[in-house]
Amino acid sequence: MNQQRRVAVTGLGLISPFGGDLNDFFARLLAGESAVSFLRTDDVPRPLAMPFVRCQHFDADAALGRPLAGMMDRFTQLGTAAAFAAWEDAGFSRGQPTKELENWGVSWGTALGGVLAYEKGYRDLWQNGRGRVPPLSVILGMNNATNAHISIQLGLGGVSMTHTVACASSSIAIGEAFRRVRSGEAPVMLTGGSESPQAYAVVRAWEALRILASGDETTSPQACRPFSADRTGLVLGEGGAALVLEEWDHALARGARIYAEIVGYGSTSDHSHLVRPEADGQRRAMQAALSDAGLSLGEIDYVNAHGTATPEGDSVEVAALIEVFGELAARLPVSATKSMHGHQLGAAGAVEAIITVLALHQQAIPPTAHLQEIEPACLGVDHVTSARRGQPLRAALSNSFAFGGSNAVLAFRAVAH
Amino acid sequence: MDSLTLIREFLENRLGVSPELVVAEAPLNDLGIDSLMMLELMFEFEDRFGITLAKGLKSPKTVGEMVALMDRLRSEQS
Repeated sequence: MNQQRRVAVTGLGLISPFGGDLNDFFARLLAGESAVSFLRTDDVPRPLAMPFVRCQHFDADAALGRPLAGMMDRFTQLGTAAAFAAWEDAGFSRGQPTKELENWGVSWGTALGGVLAYEKGYRDLWQNGRGRVPPLSVILGMNNATNAHISIQLGLGGVSMTHTVACASSSIAIGEAFRRVRSGEAPVMLTGGSESPQAYAVVRAWEALRILASGDETTSPQACRPFSADRTGLVLGEGGAALVLEEWDHALARGARIYAEIVGYGSTSDHSHLVRPEADGQRRAMQAALSDAGLSLGEIDYVNAHGTATPEGDSVEVAALIEVFGELAARLPVSATKSMHGHQLGAAGAVEAIITVLALHQQAIPPTAHLQEIEPACLGVDHVTSARRGQPLRAALSNSFAFGGSNAVLAFRAVAH
Repeated sequence: MDSLTLIREFLENRLGVSPELVVAEAPLNDLGIDSLMMLELMFEFEDRFGITLAKGLKSPKTVGEMVALMDRLRSEQS
């Protein structure tokens, strides 16, 4: 029987919608700053006009070089740049493939893949009457483009895989990466997620579900209001976020900085409804993560909620938290950081895993922004409404609950400094 | 636009290659044109000049060979 290894988080990289680096991103979250703005495009026949989170400061050519950036859809540009940042943050350098990297792998999450490339192709064919699309279209559009580019550029010879599970994509990608390091199959896994969902038909499809938040040029920054009595829905966003997961002794041997330990992963299915979430499935996922981690309820000092601000989803998640934590729920700090960085779909799980890791590393909990009046059905946990420091954070959970009923929960433990 | 200028523009815009390096005897592979980029370059030619490249066409090895091929096809298909 394989001995289970401990797994360290040794590198973090993220394309910040605020434009700065990772520390700046987390500092702004602690300050309750919103990255949500109003997106208005010049699409025809009806421009997109909605609250959205853009990485408008991201310069793909600068981050990746023109030749490489030109071979990528935006979701791959965001993801690869985040991966490079995490790699460097972990203290690794980029060079030719070596024997040592032969079983280091990539596990990536995306819900939509290269949808912007597909959409450009469809516009060329159906709107502009062209008879064909460029040869790179397949390479740009394919869902595995990001992990393919990452493994090529970093010289990783292990598994190179994509997980597409809607809003839980990158949480599942991280969980599956964690398993491979824990089992000893891979000493290091580069994992995370990326998404660029601002394709015309994609946004129209989301609008049709009537779950996008209302907002205009003025009100957009406060449009995403998880747990709030007056919440109106979710705010879509683009993003890229990556983590380096490393076998514990491997990290110690090279003197790596360890942000936190990833200790558990629970994944379940609601097996109930395609869009309506179920508290029972979420409960089972959280309990599975806790059991996998060997953590007791009382050791959890923070939960980064899925908290998308949909009228239905938020109360179901709180109900599930109360089912899991029982009497402890009322004093369990919970925050929904999507209130500030939006819902980046396939990248959301990775962004929130990074936030949870940083919370443990810096011993500070970011708030749920814009939360003044909590909806009665969302009462029962300790809603964090302003940055919280001073109380020890020993372990934390990060929740991702997806359309289709797939639930993924990651458990992390703080390390002593 | 002549064929050499198209190749120079393509290489500069897509691969960041300086136009001075794009001379007749330069191997396309050395300038970054691998099999995938060759498809893109051919697509560009077809698009810009309204010509059709046959499917089984043998890929040119140098810039000069590419220019000669394109010029021949343009005069044959105009």
